[in-house]
Order: sequence, then C-alpha cells, then structure tokens
Amino acid sequence: MDKPFVEALARQAGLERALAEFPDCVANAAAQALGRSGEIHAPANPAAEPWPPMKVGGTK
Amino acid sequence: MTDDLHWLTAAAASRAYAARRLSPTELVRALLARIERLDPQLNAFIRVDAEGALAAATAAEAEIAAGRIRGPLHGVPVGIKDIIDVAGLPTTCHSKVMPATPATADAVVVAKLRQAGAIVMGKLSTHEFAIGGPSFDLPWPPARNPWNRDHHPGGSSSGSGAGLGAGFFPLALGTDTGGSVRNPASACGIVGLKPTYGLVSRRGVFPLAFSLDHVGPMTRDVADNALLLDAIAGHDPHDSGSVAPPRQDYAARLERGVRDLRIGFVRHFHEHDMPAHPEVAAGLDTVARTLAGEGAILRDVTLPTLGEFAAVNRVILNAEAWSIHAPWLRERPGDYGLLGRRRLMPGAFLSAGDLLAAQRRRAEMIALVDAALEEVDVLLCASSMDPPSRIEDAEETARTYPRQARAPFNTTGHPALAMLAGLAAAGLPLSVQFVARHFDEATLFQVARAWERAAGTDRMHPQLG
Repeated sequence: MDKPFVEALARQAGLERALAEFPDCVANAAAQALGRSGEIHAPANPAAEPWPPMKVGGTK
Repeated sequence: MTDDLHWLTAAAASRAYAARRLSPTELVRALLARIERLDPQLNAFIRVDAEGALAAATAAEAEIAAGRIRGPLHGVPVGIKDIIDVAGLPTTCHSKVMPATPATADAVVVAKLRQAGAIVMGKLSTHEFAIGGPSFDLPWPPARNPWNRDHHPGGSSSGSGAGLGAGFFPLALGTDTGGSVRNPASACGIVGLKPTYGLVSRRGVFPLAFSLDHVGPMTRDVADNALLLDAIAGHDPHDSGSVAPPRQDYAARLERGVRDLRIGFVRHFHEHDMPAHPEVAAGLDTVARTLAGEGAILRDVTLPTLGEFAAVNRVILNAEAWSIHAPWLRERPGDYGLLGRRRLMPGAFLSAGDLLAAQRRRAEMIALVDAALEEVDVLLCASSMDPPSRIEDAEETARTYPRQARAPFNTTGHPALAMLAGLAAAGLPLSVQFVARHFDEATLFQVARAWERAAGTDRMHPQLG
C-alpha cells in the first residue's frame, strides 16, 4: 500500500492520533495486514460458508 | 519432606497432604520464600498475593486435617495469567491501558479452581493484552527464561511458563490465541495444553480474539496437566462458545502407553514450510523414533502449509482484536507499548472480504485436519522452530517468534499440547507438539505421558541460584 492510501485508510478508521504520533506503527500495521490477506487460498466452492457458522440460540 | 518442595507436582503435594507429611501452609510458605528470592531475576509475577495465599492455605489445612479433602488440587498453589480475573485483584493485562480497579468476581476458571481447593498465589506476567512479545516499555518488566535469564520465556503466558520452570508453583493458567500457552511451554520446558475450543470457559478472561481464544492448563508434568484440565473443563451456559462434551477422565489412560496407536508426523511444517533449527529437527526425530520404539505406528501426514495457516489465523485475530481495541487505539495510542500498538492495529487495514476469505478457508482447514485425524489417532509436529532467543535481541525475537506451528490449531480448534523434547547444546529447552481430535484430550495425554516417561522430561529442571 502506498503512503497516501495507508493514511487515508488510517483516517477512515479513526486513527488520526496514531498517525500523528506513531506514523511508523501505522505503516507497520498496514504492511502486516497486506502481507497476510494475500496468502489465503479462497475456497473454490462458491457455497463454502465461513466458520464460525450462523447458529441461533447461542447468544446467552 | 526434602528441600525440593518447589519441584513437587500437584499430585505429589496432594499425596503428601493426605499422608500428613506436608501441609498447605508449609508448601505455600516455602514457595513464597523462593518467589521472594528468585522472582526479582525472572519477573514471572506482576503481583504476588502472599496474604491471600496464606489465608487460603490455612483454610485448606484445616479442612484437610478434618478429613474434608475436596480432591487432588486441594491446598495446591496455582498462578494466574494477568488477563484472567481474580476477585479483589486488578486485571492489568500487563498494560497501562487497563484501569487499576480490582476485579469484582473470579473468572469461571478461577472460581472452579477455588472450588477444588486450589490456592491462588498471584497474577502473572504476559505480553501486553496477550499479544506482541517481550517488551521493556510497559509498566512491568517482561518475564525471563528460568533456564537462562538472558533468553525470553515465550509468551504470551510468559509468567506462567517462567514461574513453573522456576518452581514457583506446580500449576498455572495461561491463554492461547495463536499459541500463547504452548510457546512458553516450549521455551520453559514444561507442559502446556490448548484444549479443544469451547471445552474451558473464557468468561472473566480479557479477550484477544473471540473465536480463537482458549484458556489452558500449564504444569510441570503431564499427569498434573490432566488434573488441572479436569478441574477447569465443563460447560458454561454464559460463554457463547462453550460446549458440553461427555464427561471424561482425562488421566484414565496416562500409563497405557502407545502400542498400536497411529501417530501422523507433520514433517513438512518444520522441514519445508519453516525449516527448523537443526537441534529442533533432531529433537522431533528423537521423539518420533522413541514413540515408534514404544510400539506406535508412525506415518507422514500432510496438511495445508504453515504460511497459509498463519495467514488465516492472523487475519481473524487481527480483525477480532481490532474490534476490541479500536476505541482505545483511536483515543490513547500512546498508552500501549510499541509491540502492542503494532500488533493490535492491523485489523484497521483489513477488508470485510479479507475476513470472510479467512473464515471460509478456516472451515476447509478444520475439515482437512479432521480428515487427517480419521487416518491417525494423534499428530506429532513442531511447536517452536527455534530455541528461545536472547530477550534483549528484539530483531532475533521478532524473526523467530512467528516461526511456529501452534496457530494452525487455534484456527481449527483441535486440542494441542506442547512439551519438552530435550535440551539444546546451549542448555535451552527444545519442544514437541501433539494434536488430537476435538475433545480427545485423553489420547493427547496418553501419548504425551509415553514420551515423558521414556525421556524423563518431567525430571529435567533448570539450575537456579
């Protein structure tokens, strides 16, 4: 992610203060997020559901 | 009793109480003296509750003397990781962010331990909010490794591992979201179990990631681990992830051995995905050979790569952790330490699509591990790929901390146990991990005990001053 894009995402997430005080931490966090999501193989089956599943009756 | 009270297991202490050879007060006093002498070098504790422990010991002693023995943990000391509520003590999460007000109630696991008669010794060091690594910019110093205090003790249940390894208590509770019970078990040469997801209540435990968090027993030997799990397992109707499995005796098959048990060796984790330190690899081969020599049937098993397991675990962890910490990270980012701030913010940069891709792949990964465990009874694999690095070497710690094979089983919810596999030439612990089917902790203990008995790992302790 380029710097302006990271800064825009950080502001959208409400991280203005972190961006001003800890810009290296914000850039590091963004780099971690980008590196991880790219390694996941998306399921080939369009009907593959996420886990944990939606299940009624377990909210107590 | 001997001068080695600090190495007593819970089971041995319980037997000594029953035979009137030892009292809870004697044991607690001996351990408090050892903590006072040695903990300033190790920082396992955030807070020692000497007054509370002695009061509980006196009460236990009176009950035991009157013949009202509650069970094998009655009068046995336990340390509690400081993200778990203990009534009357603050839950600091090792962070400046948390208020200093005391918890008003015990976490369910602590209440269960008190009901069993265990004695809470105090609150133990962790990584800030159970994530990151050893940090020197927090209100309390990081715990150190009892085998060599210049090295880290693993984490995030670092005080639990360090305190067990140092002989400060025979039992401890840790929590495990990406490996945080099993990392200190590996680094400190003790036994750490991440139970099946939902087997142990999380109520009263500060969350890191709801769908990955587990509370786990940490001990110096396998039999004690089974005893501790027995005390804390069970359905909690107020924990939405809790389940009600059939009641079982976790220690029932401890001494049965492994003859004809089928063990799947997940070699690609440490041989291809994240090539392990040669001493770690040699240690794993020794465990496999030893168990084969005891009659187990070994075969190789293939699972998804560690890189993909780690990515799925971290996307979910980051998203869930961000949902918890976002308000504080927005308002007071400077109250976090550097590592906590960096590890808790990535969720702000993940998309809904990233999270759903991880959760959908997670379902497939659970099915793949289930399928592997239809062909074998237990999996054997690496825990840490390296011996613990020097605690002051932040770069090496950052390089080696993610080199692990624990996160896969937070992602899939399977029970996984890490323990000592031997000692490296430098005298630091090497580790092995066993994994079983959901709710089959008894088989996990059976295999772990077979290795422990064959190798004598329960008799290996660090030399402390």
